[in-house]
Parts: sequence; structure tokens; C-alpha cells
Amino acid sequence: MTVAVNGRVDTVTALELEAGLKLDGANLVVLDLAGVPYMSSAGLRLLLTAHKAMLAKGGELQIANLQPAVREVLDITGFSGILNLIG
Amino acid sequence: MTARSSLRLKLALSVLAAFLLSIVFSWLLHNRLAERDIYSLIDSAFENVRSEIIDCVNERMVRQCMAVREQLDDGHPVDTDSLQALAREMRVTEISVANQDGDIVASSVPDYLAHDGKPAFNFVTAGGKAEDMMCLVHGQETEYCQPFRSNTANGAWRKFVGVWRPQGGFVEIGCDGASLRSLARSSIVDLFRNWRVGDSGGIVVTTATGLVLSDYEEPNREGTQWQEPDESFYWRRGEIESFPVYVMIPRKSAVVRRNVLVGSTATMNGLALVFVAILVGCVISAFVRQQMRAQAAKELEMAKDIQLSALPKVFPPFPDETRFDIVASMDTAKEVGGDFYDFYFTGMDRVLFLVADVSGKGVPAAMFMMRAKTLIKSAAQTGKPLADAFAEANDALCEGNTSNTFVTVWAGELNTRTGRVAFVNAGHNPPIVRGGGVARYLKTKPSLVLGAMPGIRYGVEELQLAPGDVIYLFTDGIIEQPGPSGEPYGEDRLLQALSSIGRAKGDVLASVLADVRRHASGAEQADDCTQLMISYRGEPDTTTYEYAPTMDGLAKASADLAALLAPVPEKYRNQLLVAADEVAANIVKYSGATRWSLTVELVHHPDGVRLVVSDDGKAFDPLDVRDPDTTLCAADRKIGGLGIFIVKKTMSPVTYKRRGGINILTMGKDYGD
Repeated sequence: MTVAVNGRVDTVTALELEAGLKLDGANLVVLDLAGVPYMSSAGLRLLLTAHKAMLAKGGELQIANLQPAVREVLDITGFSGILNLIG
Repeated sequence: MTARSSLRLKLALSVLAAFLLSIVFSWLLHNRLAERDIYSLIDSAFENVRSEIIDCVNERMVRQCMAVREQLDDGHPVDTDSLQALAREMRVTEISVANQDGDIVASSVPDYLAHDGKPAFNFVTAGGKAEDMMCLVHGQETEYCQPFRSNTANGAWRKFVGVWRPQGGFVEIGCDGASLRSLARSSIVDLFRNWRVGDSGGIVVTTATGLVLSDYEEPNREGTQWQEPDESFYWRRGEIESFPVYVMIPRKSAVVRRNVLVGSTATMNGLALVFVAILVGCVISAFVRQQMRAQAAKELEMAKDIQLSALPKVFPPFPDETRFDIVASMDTAKEVGGDFYDFYFTGMDRVLFLVADVSGKGVPAAMFMMRAKTLIKSAAQTGKPLADAFAEANDALCEGNTSNTFVTVWAGELNTRTGRVAFVNAGHNPPIVRGGGVARYLKTKPSLVLGAMPGIRYGVEELQLAPGDVIYLFTDGIIEQPGPSGEPYGEDRLLQALSSIGRAKGDVLASVLADVRRHASGAEQADDCTQLMISYRGEPDTTTYEYAPTMDGLAKASADLAALLAPVPEKYRNQLLVAADEVAANIVKYSGATRWSLTVELVHHPDGVRLVVSDDGKAFDPLDVRDPDTTLCAADRKIGGLGIFIVKKTMSPVTYKRRGGINILTMGKDYGD
């Protein structure tokens, strides 16, 4: 299953994304962030939660198409070493 | 120099002490040696005396013995009584006649003869030294003398002398001490009269009762009672063939000898010590010179520390300041000069910046530099006009300035709001002004240096800076740095360097220094190289928004900021948007603030953005929060603290203040000119 996210992910929008993101069912979820110009720590929290949830049920979360600003935040915080980044 | 002359005095004193010690030591030594020499002289003299006396006594007794033999050969009766009479006549103690077998056949001593069934005394069987006398019958000797000694036969002291008889056997006479002395006396008297022991010693022979027989010193004293020598002599007493003999040497002759020895030793020692002292002096003064050099090096190091420690070294010095930038550096030469730079606010919108160069070098220059820096600052920070502040600092520096040290200063005061610069040049090199892509020297008529003369008035001139203009101040160490041929770097090269060096902030000073080093091409840095550059950026475009501490407020802030930052390159814009979101989210979620505001300053020359986020919530310094551990695995990672961490990593500078119950967090992002 591929989920495409569009728009900035900050404190406000992360709440909306959390509400809208349904990961039930599929064992492999690809989160396509091509449309995300930047992401703050609220988005990171979301990614970590989703990653742990998928691991718990034996599935896998892949994150694809990072924009430079998102990539930078993941690198700074060490998340690029935890999450499965592709593309 | 006083230290060195006192060192010389000490050296001279210790040489003197060593000299005296050596004299005392050699005096003691030679005293002992002289005494030993004297005693060995006395001993050897004594041995000579002994053999002399023995010879004399032997000869006398042999003569007497021959006289006895002649009497007997002439038919003198040999019965005991007749022999006793003969002995008395011949002044000997006893007379015996032995046959070829060593048996005594006639004697003045009845015990020696055969009587009452006892055989006569036999020289062979009697034992002791008696048998030695048998050499006379074996034809080995014609006469034989025994020393004066205790007789084994009856324990009496005797000296025996025998002479052979052509018809067989021998005649023996024996003398006790008294008869020996009476026999030999006249020969001995003359024997030692002219003997000398050493230079002035001699021999004294006495009788058993202490009457002088022979006295080397006073022949007339013979026959008088002998007194044992007193303290003024070295002497030894012994008995030779029953004669008491004294060998004596006057002490004063020994003393003369010793004094000569001590004197020559002292002279030699003195010479050697003077030589050693000169040598040690040379070594010590070399050592002292080395120590002084080390001390001087240490003082230079100290002076350098003084010089450097007084200068502001944190850049940017005013992180919240958007209207101007200051960078400065001082490269100290090996030999310390008295350069310094300084900058500080003198009013709300006025910043003073200066570069100065104290005359002279080393510690005095460093100390003067401290005074000058402090005095200028305290005068300038009263808010007085620049001219008055300089006049006041000058008067203070002149007070008690006996060394006539002075300092050249170029100081400017920038009005950060208007870009207007008032400046004073107290005998310093003109700075370079760069504006509109053109660099030029700001040459004006300089005023007198500070510290030279009190009561000087300082002229103030003005200059208008446009945003993006810079003023570059320096000391003459830069332009006077000689190249390999001795040609100085010079004003032209410096101007060229500043014109051509890119406008990249911060690196300008290092680039100039590198250019100066290239010119020096390996030559040692001649003087301190001090530079200061102030860049005027002008007023930023400032917009301030106020928001409610809600999600709605956050959303509005994001939209406003994104709109304002539209002209900012995307990379920096995204970083700024993330940073603003992190800080604002903290305020909304945790601070308890009733309102918060966001001020956006778009600054220029070089371009950059400053975000100031303020809130009236509880005091919270996000810079105090510990950085999260970014190496943990997914299961252990926490979300808390990540936002602030991202801000610290992407924004610079980030500063926090709390003022009037408001948290003020400032984040800067510079991205070029």
C-alpha cells in the first residue's frame, strides 16, 4: 500500500495527518513524501509511531521520495538510521 | 646588573674562604708531615748513633782484651785471685781463659771453673749466645764482640769480648755497665761533638747517673747533671751499650721547614683557586645569561597574554544585532607590541570601534595598552561626545607617563540607525572604506597621539555609510611587513587585497593576513598585525505579528511566515519554517502564555533572516535542554527535545533572554551577501 502525503508537516498539520493516516491491513506500507516540502518534529513523532506500529504487527513501513529539508531533519535527529528510507 | 655584581662579590668571598681553608688544612697537614719527618730523622740518627757507639765500645774492649792477653802471654798468673787483680787493673769486670774445646780453664769468676764435682763452664754446652764465642777457636775470627745484654748464666748485664790465642783457645773479658762506661767514656766524649741531626739538632750522651758525657750544644756542660729536654725539642732517648743517649731536634727548625712548605702550598693553592674562580665565574655568568634569556622569554609570553586576554574574542560579539557586524583579529609577532582593538556600545544606537598601537614593545607596552584601553573605554562609555572622551582619556594617560609611551588610535562611532560614523584619528594609519564596490583610504588630517601631551583637543570628522559599506581598520604591522627583498607590504597592496577579496563575511581578515604572509614569503612576522572590520547592514525589514496560544494561532503564524519568507531561498525558508514551528509549538503546548509574538527581520549585506519569538509564559530557556541521544534504536527513541535540537542545529546564532516577564528567543540565519 502506498500513501502519498502532500503539503508541509508541522505541529498543526501533523494532527490532521495522524487522523487521516490508516495503516490497517497492509503488511507493507510505503509513505510517499514527495509532496512534503518540510517536516517538523511533530511529523517525526508520527513517523516513529507508525514505524513502531508496523513493526509490532510484523509489517514494514517504507518512506520514499524525501525532499532535501525533510531529509536534513531526519539526518539531524538520527531518524534516517531508524526508518526504512527508499528512493 | 646589581644581581651580577653581588654574585661576583659572593664568588670572591667564597674563593677567599676556600683559600683560608686550604691554608689551615695545609698547615695542619704539614705540621703532621713535619712531625713525622722529624721523628723519622731522629730514628735514623739514633740508629747511626747506635752503630757508632757499638763500634767505638767494641774497638775499645778489643783493645783491652788484647792487653789482657798480652799480660797472660807474658806469664801473668792465672789463679782466680791474680785474675781478679788483673781485672781490676784493666778496669774490666771479669776475665776468663778458654781452651780449644771451649772449657774455661782459668777465670776471675770461681763459678766458671770446675769445682765441687761440677765441670767448668763450657761455651759449647752453656747455651744461649755463649757458643758464638767458639768462632775464635775455629779460626774464623781473631776477635769477637757480643752486645751489652743480660747474661743467661746469672742474669747480670754484661758485654763480652774475646780474642783468640795463637797457642789455642781464647781470652774473654766481660764488662758490666759501670766498667763499660769507664772504659769507653773517653772515646765517646769526642764522638758526637760535631755530629748534627738535621739543621740544628744533635746528640747528647750521659752517664747512668745523668751526668753529661757528650753534648753537641755546649761542650762545657760535660760532667754536669743532665736535664731531660723540654717542649722546645723533638727528642728520643735510648740506651746504647749502657749509655743513655738523647737525639734531639729543636722545634723551631721544624717550624721553619713547615712554614716554608705551608707558604709554598698556600701560594700554589691561591693561584689554583683564582684560576678556578675565574673559570666558575665564566660558567656562572653564562648560566645567568641563559636564565635571563629564559626569564625574558617568559615575560614576553606574559605580555602577550596580557595583550590578548584584554581583547574581545567572541564573534559575532552582538548576536542579536542586525544592523552591523564586527570582526577583528590580532596576530602577535614574536616580539610583543602594544596593539589592541576594541568595540562596545556607547549608547542605545551607538557603537564605538577602534584599533590602536602603543609605542614600544614588551611588558611596558602591554601594560600601557591595558591602561589606554581601559581609559578610552571608561571615557567613551559615559556617553560624552567622542572628542571630549578622547581629550579626557588623553589627559588621564599623560598623568605620570614618565616613559613617554604613547598610543595611536583610530576610533569610529557608528550610529547604527543612520549609518553615520563620527571618527577621531589620533596619529594612526588611515583606515580603508569600501562602498559601492570601491575601496579607498579614508585620509584625514590626524590629531596628536594619546599620551603625548595633556590638554589636546581632538578633531572629529564624519562619514556616511550606506548599507553594505565596510570600514577596515588596521595597524602598521600589516603594511610594514617586509618581503624577502625588504620591501614592505604597503598601502597599495592592502587596498588591492581589500578590493579584490570577495565580500564573503568573516574570511576577509584571514584573507588579508594570508596575502601579507604571501608577501613575507617565509620571513618572520615583524610586528603585531591587528585588523578590525565593521560592516554596516542598515535597518532590517521588520514585521511583527501577535498570536493567540492556540493551534489556530500556530496555523496563522505558519501561513504569515511562509508569505513573508517568499523571497528567501527555499532551503533556508524551509529551515526557518521548521524552526519557527518548533519554538511556537512549545509555547502553545507548554508555556501557559496568554499571547505570543513573532518578529521577522529581513536583514541585508549580507542577507539573512532573524526570527524573534516572544511569549509571556513561564520562564523557559530552550538552550538549557539537554540534547537527545540520536543513536538509540527505534524502540528507545523519544520525541521530546527533538524540536529544540533541530533549531540548534539549523539556526545560528540562537539566543535566549528573559526580560520583563517575557521569554525572548532569537534565531538567526545568514545566507550570503
